[in-house]
Amino acid sequence: MTAVFSSTSQMMRQVIYALVLGISAAYAFFGWGIIVQIFLAVVVAIAVEATFLKIRKHPIKPAIADGSAILTAILLAISIPSIAPWWIVVVGVSFAIIFGKQLYGGLGNNPFNPAMLGYAFLLISYPLPMTTWASEFVNFSQAFDVIFNLNSNMVDALSGATRLDDVKIQLSLGKMMSELNLHSSAQAWINAGFLLGGLYLLARRVIFWHIPAAFLSGIIVTAFLVSLGDGEYLPVQNHLMLGATMLGAFFIATDPVSASTTPKGRLIYGFLIGVLIVIIRTFGGYPDGVAFAVLLMNIVVPLIDYYTQPKVFGK
Amino acid sequence: MASYAFKGGVHIPNPYPIKKPEVKQVAPPEQAALFLQQRAGGEQKPCVKVGDKVLTGQVIAKTSGKYPSYTHASISGVVLAIEKRPIPHPSGIDGVCIVIDSDGKDKWIEIEKCDQDFLRCAPSKVIQRIREAGIVGMGGAGFPTHAKISNAQGAQTLIVNATECEPGIMCDDALMQHYPREIIRGVEVLMHGCGAKKAIIAIEDDKQEAFNSLLMYNFNAHIEIVQIPTKYTSGAEKILIKTLLDIEIPSGEFASDYGVLCQNVGTVKAIYDAVIDNKPLISRIVTVTGSAVKEPRNYEARLGTSFASVVAQSKPNNKVHQIRMGGMMMGVDVPNIEHSIGKITNCIFVNNATLKPSVQSCIRCGQCNEVCPVGLLPQQLFWYAKSENMDRAMDYNLRDCIECRCCDIVCPSHIPLAQYFSFAKALHCKQTKEQQKADVARERFEFKEFRVERNKAERSEMMARKKEELKKKMAEDKTQKDKIAQAVARVKNKGALKK
Ligand code: SF4
Ligand code: SF4
Repeated sequence: MTAVFSSTSQMMRQVIYALVLGISAAYAFFGWGIIVQIFLAVVVAIAVEATFLKIRKHPIKPAIADGSAILTAILLAISIPSIAPWWIVVVGVSFAIIFGKQLYGGLGNNPFNPAMLGYAFLLISYPLPMTTWASEFVNFSQAFDVIFNLNSNMVDALSGATRLDDVKIQLSLGKMMSELNLHSSAQAWINAGFLLGGLYLLARRVIFWHIPAAFLSGIIVTAFLVSLGDGEYLPVQNHLMLGATMLGAFFIATDPVSASTTPKGRLIYGFLIGVLIVIIRTFGGYPDGVAFAVLLMNIVVPLIDYYTQPKVFGK
Repeated sequence: MASYAFKGGVHIPNPYPIKKPEVKQVAPPEQAALFLQQRAGGEQKPCVKVGDKVLTGQVIAKTSGKYPSYTHASISGVVLAIEKRPIPHPSGIDGVCIVIDSDGKDKWIEIEKCDQDFLRCAPSKVIQRIREAGIVGMGGAGFPTHAKISNAQGAQTLIVNATECEPGIMCDDALMQHYPREIIRGVEVLMHGCGAKKAIIAIEDDKQEAFNSLLMYNFNAHIEIVQIPTKYTSGAEKILIKTLLDIEIPSGEFASDYGVLCQNVGTVKAIYDAVIDNKPLISRIVTVTGSAVKEPRNYEARLGTSFASVVAQSKPNNKVHQIRMGGMMMGVDVPNIEHSIGKITNCIFVNNATLKPSVQSCIRCGQCNEVCPVGLLPQQLFWYAKSENMDRAMDYNLRDCIECRCCDIVCPSHIPLAQYFSFAKALHCKQTKEQQKADVARERFEFKEFRVERNKAERSEMMARKKEELKKKMAEDKTQKDKIAQAVARVKNKGALKK
């Protein structure tokens, strides 16, 4: 072990760099929306964080500088549809920072992954804009129009097939898997981007292999078991390369604060998230299960940690 | 070759490496301040007075008891003062020092010629010479060597720790390159002293030269010289034993319980001097390094030489310095350079004073778990140590922490974890003591109750017994009286009949 990070902010920066590939892929297929969302989210996150620290009478600069609020904002901005209206991201980020982090006493004390808490809140409260995805490349002015509601027809024009939830609807309509156009190439590219970024983090030892490996195995195993059943189910490879799988495996489930910290614990934690994701995707009412799976597992982290203490020298 | 690896630890390259670790001899100082060993129970008392003339190698202080340990004059001259001075110790306490003013002659005491064939001496004789030479563990522990060897009598394996223990220190490296013959001989002496059949000299694999020089002088089939990975904490005794012998020694138990004796290579050289040449320990090799010195180097200096005079030879810059005795990991920061070299001074770090990075909250990143050589979860421990939840901290095996600071080094939030742990340990110790005291008090109280009860019972029993006795007696009395009365009556009757 040689990697020594000189500071928390340096670690957070590494994570942000690692996101660039996936974000670029999303940009390449769906245009400027994601960039505008990220920008908006970061501004809101800093403003909310600063305000709250001021109210709590804590020093503002070091907390902002640690980069964690910015990272939360970016993760949330990536997770929501790129053409969602501006208030979605504002509400979501504010919720994530205030209820996900500051009310627990700031970075390090939050039991839940803040970005996923914000996402879950949005999905429950505003299901429609949260499931309306862009269907084609959105240029800068279009993105601006649609996000800031300048042209109400724009949304209908740009939105199209949603992602995973669409699969379920189509399947329920009796279509065969092979007939579906899943935008799968775009999604596969985006997932590949996050996968590469995640591998970079592994190489830099910002994250450890346990969670992503267990997470992906959880998905593979469960998806395989599910596919043995009757009826049409999403095949294993689509589970891996669609939706927020890679983002979840390398960037969300690995959020250190809310994840398990023992090596064995990380394996259990990651695996069960993978299992839950497939179950939610297959049998649940929501399109993608990453957020709920992560939040559910956050709850049991203290338990996992306690029962998975590593063997101590000489014992 | 077997690969020797252990879990955890951090690879920290020597921050101020030098090409060839030479050893520069430092002339005997004008004044030497020698602090006396102050281990609990083993306090040394001066046996010279202010104004006395002393010779180099003369005993100037010793402990009482049957097997005293000694301090010797490191120069010849006059005892100038016996006084308390600050000593480089984490607690910042003062210790008694004997200050000798040099007469410039460095005149030695008469050294008795001794039997150089140590194999003909009994092991107890070897241990005696080690004791009389005032040797303590020179790797930094400072535990009297003769006691350690006596405790490990009948050990199977002798491990010679030549790992340098901490990044930056180079004194063992230099020692091995300069005195390979003496070290191998010293190992043989030590094997004879403790009865070990086998010795392993462990050197980190970045010290190829030192390894080669020892190899060249080793003709003893029972001495094995091995290279282990250069990784911090490889030199911690229990970790080293695990690495070499695959024996894990739990906390609370000692190497000697497992038939292993561990000695630092510097100590081995001192043992050679003591047993073969009959010379007491009056000098040692010290590394001077750090960001503020131009020429990091090793010095062989008499004990009691001031830090300042050796540091000056390494060309320090004129900035504000931060002085640290011992390694960059487990050493002690000392407030200034007004200290002198003692038996355990292996290294003096002279760094440019820098601001410590500010501490942030723990983000549970788990970097610390990854490096703990003992397999603890520092991050969980930290949580409980901070909230002083000692029971939980103990659940998480706080006791096993060796305070190596590996976790500190990798923590991106700059949390001084080891410091918390050492504090928590002290706190726990205090709490248990209080608990014990309370237990004793309770026991005492309960015993008192019991005693009172018992006394009461005894007394009432006694009373009852007495009453019984009294009754019996009275009854007896009565029968007696009756008998007398009867007798009297009989006599009377007789008398009456006679009449
Ligand atoms: S390395 Fe520091 S921040 Fe990371 S888990 Fe350990 S104590 Fe917390
Ligand atoms: S200081 Fe203690 S907890 Fe930290 S790495 Fe060393 S042994 Fe482990």
